Amino acid sequence: MPEVIIDGKSYNYEGKHKLLQFIQDLGKEVPFFCYHPSMSIPANCRQCMVKVGQYVIDRESGNHELDDKGDKVVRWFPKLQTACNIDVADGMVVHTQETDELVRRAQKDNLELILINHPLDCPICDQAGECPLQIQTYKYGPEGSRFEVKKVHKPKRIQLGPRVVLDAERCINCTRCTRFTEEISKTNQLTITRRGDKNYPITAPGTEFDDLYSLNTVDICPVGALTSTDFRFKARVWEMNQTPGIDITNGKGCNIDLWTRDNLVLRITPRYNKDVNDHWMPDSGREAYKLFNENRISRPLQKLDGEQILSSWNNAIATFNEQIDGTDSKNTLVIGSPHASVEENYSLAKFSNLLGIKQPVFVPHIVEGSGDGFLISDDQAPNTNGCRLLGFTELDVKSIKNAVKKASLIILLSDHLLDRGVLSEKDLDGKFLVVLATNHSHTTKLADLVIPVTTAAEHAASYVNVDSRIQRTFRAKETKYTNRRLDLEMSEGRLDRYGTNFDNWVTEENKIDCLPVWRFITQAASARGLDMVLTEGRQIMEEIASSLEPFKGVNYQLMDEHAGILLKTETELKESVKQ
Amino acid sequence: MAYEFTKEDLKQIEEIKSRYPEVMPATLPVLWIAQNRFGHVNPEVQKLVAHTLGLPQAHVHGVAEFYTQYYKEEKGKYVLDVCTCLSCQLCGGYDILHYLEDKLGIKKGETTQDGMFTLNEVECLGACGYAPMLQVTNDQYVNHLTKEKVDKLVETLKKGETPGYEKIGMPQHENI
Amino acid sequence: MSTVDWKNYDPVLIPDIKDLHQIDVYIKHNGYKAFESVLKDKMKWPDQKSVINEVKEANIRGRGGAGFNAGLKWSFMPPSDGGARYLACNGDESEPGTFKDRKIFEYNPHVFIEGALIAAYAMEITTIYVYIRGEYRVYIEMMEKAIADAYSKGYIGKNILGSGFSVDFYVHSGAGAYICGEETSMLESLEGKRGYPRVKPPFPAQKGLWGRPTTINNIETLAHVPAVISKGASWFKNIGAANHPGPILYGISGHVNKPGVYELPTGVPVLDLIHDVAGGMRNGKKLKAVIPGGSSTPVLRADQLDGITMDSESLRTVGSMLGTAGMVVMDEDTDMVDVLWRIAHFYHHESCGQCTPCREGTGWLEKILLKIKNGDGEVKDLDLLLDLTTQMEGRTICALADAAAWPVRFTINRFRDEFEARCKKSAFALA
Repeated sequence: MPEVIIDGKSYNYEGKHKLLQFIQDLGKEVPFFCYHPSMSIPANCRQCMVKVGQYVIDRESGNHELDDKGDKVVRWFPKLQTACNIDVADGMVVHTQETDELVRRAQKDNLELILINHPLDCPICDQAGECPLQIQTYKYGPEGSRFEVKKVHKPKRIQLGPRVVLDAERCINCTRCTRFTEEISKTNQLTITRRGDKNYPITAPGTEFDDLYSLNTVDICPVGALTSTDFRFKARVWEMNQTPGIDITNGKGCNIDLWTRDNLVLRITPRYNKDVNDHWMPDSGREAYKLFNENRISRPLQKLDGEQILSSWNNAIATFNEQIDGTDSKNTLVIGSPHASVEENYSLAKFSNLLGIKQPVFVPHIVEGSGDGFLISDDQAPNTNGCRLLGFTELDVKSIKNAVKKASLIILLSDHLLDRGVLSEKDLDGKFLVVLATNHSHTTKLADLVIPVTTAAEHAASYVNVDSRIQRTFRAKETKYTNRRLDLEMSEGRLDRYGTNFDNWVTEENKIDCLPVWRFITQAASARGLDMVLTEGRQIMEEIASSLEPFKGVNYQLMDEHAGILLKTETELKESVKQ
Repeated sequence: MAYEFTKEDLKQIEEIKSRYPEVMPATLPVLWIAQNRFGHVNPEVQKLVAHTLGLPQAHVHGVAEFYTQYYKEEKGKYVLDVCTCLSCQLCGGYDILHYLEDKLGIKKGETTQDGMFTLNEVECLGACGYAPMLQVTNDQYVNHLTKEKVDKLVETLKKGETPGYEKIGMPQHENI
Repeated sequence: MSTVDWKNYDPVLIPDIKDLHQIDVYIKHNGYKAFESVLKDKMKWPDQKSVINEVKEANIRGRGGAGFNAGLKWSFMPPSDGGARYLACNGDESEPGTFKDRKIFEYNPHVFIEGALIAAYAMEITTIYVYIRGEYRVYIEMMEKAIADAYSKGYIGKNILGSGFSVDFYVHSGAGAYICGEETSMLESLEGKRGYPRVKPPFPAQKGLWGRPTTINNIETLAHVPAVISKGASWFKNIGAANHPGPILYGISGHVNKPGVYELPTGVPVLDLIHDVAGGMRNGKKLKAVIPGGSSTPVLRADQLDGITMDSESLRTVGSMLGTAGMVVMDEDTDMVDVLWRIAHFYHHESCGQCTPCREGTGWLEKILLKIKNGDGEVKDLDLLLDLTTQMEGRTICALADAAAWPVRFTINRFRDEFEARCKKSAFALA
């Protein structure tokens, strides 16, 4: 097998590799700024300099040529090479900054040059704390600057588009942003303007950077040149907790990170998944952070004399059970939701099953033509396939209206059917409507009983995306009934770990008074004396996997190890049954 | 003001496109056509070029901004590009530049109030043996400048006459 | 040491013939005969390879400054797969001190066209582009006319002279960017983009214009080809300096009496060029310094020039290069601080801004030099400048950073006293 020697250690490899990526994959490091694994390689930042050579092979014997000391002779490239664009080759010898003084010097030199025109405004820069330039300077940069002349001044606080702000002075011209709009989002909205040290990225005059994926440029900007209009100045990164999650705003299920501070989600960024979203996500998915914080239903609501009032959980559960008891199970309609997780839908289905109520129905939330063939799907919901695989009856607008007409008690899970124009107020006239929901809406306003439930940021649960990939979320923010310190799966931020109570204040109002659907169902069941205990997503998924064919073999551990699992689609399952 | 290419321009643009296997290579030549037509390639003209070629506006903008000969805004009727680079510096290019600054009452990079002259300091124009020199509006070179020659040039230009081609032979030769 | 007999040299590249730029005059003086011969004389030129070999043998070292054997460059082209292949002719001459190719455009455009056509035939090129700097509008028009004439005479186009060989030939105008003289930057500019040099590999011969095999040659380099074909490689090799043979266009500017472009053999003594060819120093001043081949080549002090000739080997012995043979002559009154600042200003202005060391370094160099020029510099600034040159050199995609660094290093090293004299006295006098 071909061999490459890096810092004196030999590594075997197969296939084609770029040296920088190869070194990274080994868990080692060479500093860089412009390189991005999913885009073309311009080699323009010149930071990833390494010393590269090749063992000299004696032509006649085919053996390594040896020097007087018996060491293998290396023919070095006359100049240092950028690791990003050089192909790993058999017999290649590489010295990184770890073993070579010249390489260390070159990387330091380069950082000194990058910094001469860079404003040293880290204390007020949003990027500080997650800034490659700051980190690399700390690790490899010079201790001071010899630059005693005037810096180049460029435009600052330029609103490039609705969501992205440019500070051209911070820009180091890595061209990641322009390459992104050329190669990934393909809108070509950005270019580098001017020349030389006056260069900076910009849109064509009079045009907006309204690319549906514009915020990815903020993520990949290696400095604070591009920042998010929305997130700007809201938090320092080290104050936040970072928790993995799944984008619930459409069917693609982009892998994301939720960034929270004091139990508010402050921003959402994409998390790498080569099979789903690579390093990217649409801007629309990031706006969803507001859903987790704002307009939340906290404590159950019950209609009294036509007016919704805050209720207690005991009252709510009692009302819920009374309504079920007082209604012929034939007249009870349970509506599941493509917007809710597999576990939530399952819990509701299991409960209705035990009560002899028909299998839940659901109405897909698909807007034809709204997708872009990339990371925005026609499907507006994260779990349509999950509902299908659970065996829920799929209804269109007409049939759901019919079903509603026949029912007198409607239990609706997390789907704002009125807001999205499926049902009208008239359809619900005279019905008792129970809604389990996360946020207030026109739909919840009409409900006779509103059960506040957890969002994808507050529970661990799974979603099956448009490609039938099942992926799960983690608990990112606390509710009134969870505790970060006690819940080992919840992420701990720097302040949680090291802060005193005075650093890490917690605002009670930010903890929503809500329960996971399965907790509510378990309590309702237990009040009825039913033997049904659903504790948390992990356990529920095990139960699903053992009882439902499409989910066979699925569990959280496997999902975590493989960044999701590809399930057989409904059609594939049918076909396999036929055979 | 709305900018539009004439029919002849469009015909020429089609001919230019046929020289290359793709459309993008036509960016520079079409920016030239536009500048010759409108006197500049301001953002509106850049937009016209982008639309005519079906290329992203940002691309055309980036290209226009990279190359110094494209005027990104309206300039004076005559643009005087005075070379001060190396050989011209040695032979008095700065004297010529400063003389013109005083004469026109503007600093380099500025345009006279009557819109007649824009004065620029430029990099090497490839006329090192004929220094000091200047170029008039991306066109003719005026070589071996003296104050007197500058005076004459300015007078001629004010009259609306542009200088002709100054043929400079090979000093070795008699016939050319 | 044998001296080159330049006094009896008779120019061949731009001979003293009136109206040679007109195609009929050119043809009358045996023009396009070399091209016809490679197309038709199968005894002499059995295949394309034989043409490449002859040019390789002649050792026409690239006249754009890099000095690479043109025929060897041609041989790097992969075998034709029947698809498009390009020849890009570099007429972007912008290196300060260089003004020679314009003489070919003006006085003998067809010798260049013929050379390019021979190159095209030898490398099975399908389209030739000649990239001319935008400032040369006059010469662009002249070239367009010359190419149109060659088309109408059947030297360019489909099935040329019944040989079955076809090629197209177009002029592409630059628009003001020195960097586009760098060959891969020129390709980007031809493709309609910002002139950012490309990372190599892949080399243009593998992936050039639109990802297809492409060769880039300087105008003068190609203009030498017809004579090599008709008179043979050995004729060419016997002209001028053995290590860098052939006729060459010297551009002489600065403080001489008769500046201009001269066609002479390579290897002419530098002092002969100044004192004899270019008519000596202006106003009887003393010679102080010479930049031999464009602003990036290291400056030489007058006392370094004895016996030094204009070829790579000789110039290397005193730490300089032939470059473009665009020689800039400076007299005793020249302020070397001003000169170096102006050169640094040029490279700062022309850096494309792609690579960090060049984008940032060129500006920093200029700013420090301006400080010194204004009398605000300190001696430590000189050492900082020298240090910066090592931080830039060899660390970028193209050679512009090197071109900016060399003059700084060598001008300071060779005129250190003058620079120190301009610096402020240090607050702490050194013992």
